Amino acid sequence: MPLVKTELLTKSFGALTAVKAVTLEVAEGSLHSVIGPNGAGKTTLFNLLTGQQTPTSGRIIFDGRDIAGTPPHRIAHLGIARSFQRTSIFPTLSIVDNVWLAAFARQEFWRGLAWRRADGYPELTRRALGVLDEVGLGDKARLPAREISHGEQRQLELAIALAAAPRLLLLDEPAAGLSPDETQKMVALVQKLKGRYTILLIEHKIDVVMSMSDRISVMHFGSVIAEGSPVEIRRNAEVRRAYLGGIAAP
Amino acid sequence: MSRETIRQLLVVLAAVVLLPIFVRHAIATEIWIFAIFGLGLNLLMGYTGLLSFGQATFFGSAAYVAGYLLKYYGIDIFLALAIGIVVGTVSAAGVGYLCVQRSGLYFIMLTFALNQMFYFTAYQWTTVTGGEDGMPGIPRPSIFGFDIHPPLAYYAAVAVLFLVSLWIMQRIVESPLGKILQAIRENELRAEALGYNVPRMKLLAFAVAGAFSGLAGVLYAMLFGIVPLESIGFVFSGNVVFATLIGGSGSLYGPVIGSFVFIWLSESVSTMWARWPLLLGVAFVIVVLFFRGGVVEAWARFWGWRAAHRAPAAAQVDADAPR
Repeated sequence: MPLVKTELLTKSFGALTAVKAVTLEVAEGSLHSVIGPNGAGKTTLFNLLTGQQTPTSGRIIFDGRDIAGTPPHRIAHLGIARSFQRTSIFPTLSIVDNVWLAAFARQEFWRGLAWRRADGYPELTRRALGVLDEVGLGDKARLPAREISHGEQRQLELAIALAAAPRLLLLDEPAAGLSPDETQKMVALVQKLKGRYTILLIEHKIDVVMSMSDRISVMHFGSVIAEGSPVEIRRNAEVRRAYLGGIAAP
Repeated sequence: MSRETIRQLLVVLAAVVLLPIFVRHAIATEIWIFAIFGLGLNLLMGYTGLLSFGQATFFGSAAYVAGYLLKYYGIDIFLALAIGIVVGTVSAAGVGYLCVQRSGLYFIMLTFALNQMFYFTAYQWTTVTGGEDGMPGIPRPSIFGFDIHPPLAYYAAVAVLFLVSLWIMQRIVESPLGKILQAIRENELRAEALGYNVPRMKLLAFAVAGAFSGLAGVLYAMLFGIVPLESIGFVFSGNVVFATLIGGSGSLYGPVIGSFVFIWLSESVSTMWARWPLLLGVAFVIVVLFFRGGVVEAWARFWGWRAAHRAPAAAQVDADAPR
């Protein structure tokens, strides 16, 4: 049974249709990748799933209910967390606070919201530090987030999403702007998360996608033009024309 | 309690005890009242990143309502303070509800415009507010039979309330709410994506700021025995922004220091030199250009600079260490 599926999901901005009748199913526990050239509508698809944008038409079924048009803060509480393509953190707050805020938000009741000291939640602090250890930032937990390198901020970006203990993890180009070395680390990290979370991944680096994904959807001009296993996608002629070979061999 | 907290506590206590020795009692009292007012604004401006140019709305409304009840119904002082806090909170919640729908410049203009609306209401409604003449004859009831008419007695009462306010504000900024508000200031989009209802959190910050403004408003009315029309005017709103910026917005003690600088300058220098706002202007320019964190930041930088000067070798090691 799919954890999330979209039915004829469409988003138009005036004359431009960024996402065109996308029907997609992400199976529970799988790593599902979305690939496609720049401007194919991948990030818009994510924005629709997380409520940052409201679909023009179509449905988003998460765990059996339609969540299309639900505001982002509610969607977060349903258990959908995302990382952003352009690093989106809290620069002056400490790294552990960045992650702690994600963990606190997911609590059932915000007990002691305005009165208990923020360091009086040992279980949340432990979870935050645990996630930081996992992404490899454990020893920098007390530093302000703006003082670490771009690569480390990408790790933090991922840690914030993980700390929300999501049921569905949306990763928008986690390796964007990383050096080959850092990319390798990031790939290893995502590899480690595979199976523990249901992951929907946007990624440009084709070899990365091919090696990790259970399923791949290919987007082109807002539509899904192909879907299948990595092997099927590699063989698909339309995909080759539109994307894989489209740039190198017209 | 950490040593740092104890040290800060001792400094504040010393300031509260010593201030009336050096400064006229009425001015000393006004400093702490204005500090309470600033504490509230700082939660909005410094922590949440919402520049409200309409804090006098809540200050003045509370002063008028509580002042009216004190004057004509002779209510108990605790009831007056409670009513002031409620009026401040409710008016701030109402104004805040309208303002948080917009952001940036529009937000600021909304706080300002609504402030003007309240101001002109007070200005026109002369039968109740006394219009331009203000609302004189606000009594200062006793506390448990203890007469607070002597300036020093009233100072003590205000100082205690200030300390309580400071303690409460410290709890708030160190609570999850304080962190959430800072997160909103830093990155609204991400805060929302994490599951925080951003407009509601901003509204909460408004309400809390309103409560502090309301308390300050009532204390102000009882200090001077009058609610002047200016207490609900935009200049007053500007003054508290000004004072908080000079002291250091975004740090707990910023508005307290700012209030001291602002009130002390305006009350003492103004008697010697009528153009004293020039001084404030210069201070403001210096702060905005060089010390965005106000006196608090200047102070921290001074000590950092001194430490580096004293032990250059140690500082070098420090600078090389990964931060």
